Amino acid sequence: MSGRFAASNKVAVAGYAHSDVRRHISRPLGALALDTVRNAIADAGLRPEQVDGVVAASLFPTSGSHAAADGVSTVTAGWLAQRLGTDPRYVSSFQGIGQIPGAVATAVNAIAAGAADHVVMFRALHNPVGRYHANTMREAAGIDQWTVPQGFFGPLSMIGLPYNEYLQRYGADRESMAAVVVEARKNGARIPWSYWYERPLTTEEYLAAPMISDPVRRFDCDIPVDGVAAFVLTSAERARDLPHRPVYVSGYAGGASAARRLPLHWPLDDIMTGGEATVRRLFEHAGVKPEEVDLPQLYDGFSPFVYFWLELLGFCPRGEAHRFVQDGRIDADRPDGLPVLSGGGALGNGRMHGVPQMLECYLQLSGRAGERQRDRATVAVACQSSPHYGGAVVYSAAPF
Amino acid sequence: MTASRETESATEPGAAARPVPVPDDLSAPYWAAAAEHRLVLARCSACAAFAIPPDQICPHCHSTTPGFAFEPVSGRGRVRSWTTIRQAFLPGFDRHVPFVLVDVELVEQEELRMVGRLLDGPDAPVRLGASVRAAFEDIAPGVAVPAFVLEGAR
Repeated sequence: MSGRFAASNKVAVAGYAHSDVRRHISRPLGALALDTVRNAIADAGLRPEQVDGVVAASLFPTSGSHAAADGVSTVTAGWLAQRLGTDPRYVSSFQGIGQIPGAVATAVNAIAAGAADHVVMFRALHNPVGRYHANTMREAAGIDQWTVPQGFFGPLSMIGLPYNEYLQRYGADRESMAAVVVEARKNGARIPWSYWYERPLTTEEYLAAPMISDPVRRFDCDIPVDGVAAFVLTSAERARDLPHRPVYVSGYAGGASAARRLPLHWPLDDIMTGGEATVRRLFEHAGVKPEEVDLPQLYDGFSPFVYFWLELLGFCPRGEAHRFVQDGRIDADRPDGLPVLSGGGALGNGRMHGVPQMLECYLQLSGRAGERQRDRATVAVACQSSPHYGGAVVYSAAPF
Repeated sequence: MTASRETESATEPGAAARPVPVPDDLSAPYWAAAAEHRLVLARCSACAAFAIPPDQICPHCHSTTPGFAFEPVSGRGRVRSWTTIRQAFLPGFDRHVPFVLVDVELVEQEELRMVGRLLDGPDAPVRLGASVRAAFEDIAPGVAVPAFVLEGAR
């Protein structure tokens, strides 16, 4: 049985919109999401009533004591569809991790199946007032009882453990990660809506920032923000009649079945073994080979994910990513640099999850990247989250 | 065996209490043993593999009737990784930061991994593969939480 996606390159991205990314935006998140969705529809050359599908990735991912409220701290597809003023026939929210690949897959499948002709897919992120992950729980019941009483809690210790496992196993220096974070911030500083616009980071600033969950430093973590992005997807045939050059969805894959562990316990071997399966399925699904990818936009919500994705996608041997990223080899400004964070990533934009990766793939492959436009951008990969839990999508500038 | 009785003063005047576990039907034997400073782990009645934590379905043989029973384990293991926590996100941990969390593979079964506090302090000479043994922190009357100490370091 072939692993190739039957609808490979039959659905395309036709337009997008992006809000400002700020620590706290004064407008309600739902209103911001609706404006952004309408802007994306207009960008694609469509009228709202032509958009008959609404898909969202709506997980509100915090371990803090925040109750998720639809339209305020998260925006589901249903919330938005109800207020769009049209009557979309397909409405679906993806709830898992790897929100953007999951939502893209949902939208692509709906279009390929004929459940909708034009789908607007969006992600609205909210940064609640107060510390993002602080939790006031006094009692640890259910699954929490296995980790919380001993102080194993939240995503910082989640990533600190496998990152340190990597450093220890491969003899890598903590300082090597500066190359990743500085590259993300350099590119994010050029994006007008970015939280970090015109604020690049130096290696010295990276190294001077405090450790927060050793070996994780402050700038290894993306900053929580308010922000919304939306994309319009439609069939490849219809997309060719719209104003912008279509970018085709060649295939996708998600981390399907990670080993059962304690909550948020992601040992390095789990990440890499599960990630191998994700990447194998991804390339089979898309019908491309790793060496054909010239724009791999790697996930960087925590910087160590860049190492993991680099190795799993085959750009360097296992245990070598910390060396690979040095000496400008991931510098998107160099013609021979591998552009892994040319869109700034989450570290360079703010916590927009997989949005910066997807958006950079779209902008480069549609020729809309402005001064960041690369001469050669034909096959792109947008990654999100951990390789064993999240997912990735392959995009192509031409159907094949 | 009975694991060591490493304890730590839990109650300082005015200090916030740490979250206490709420035992349920499945976990009650685990917390009852921990209160006596004994480490017991859930073992599947179908395939005899340990699971941390137990679940409706056995993660090893996928039985839907795993009938998990708790059995004593040695509490010995080796360090697979660690991280130093410098910000407390939970009540009661402010007085502990910085503290080290260790990811421990227990000797009873390959990849049987547990995460807990290393009670030797933030500057303990922890390294990959270091031997540790279970210890317990008394955090409230009748409530003790599994943790680890370096073997031979004390």
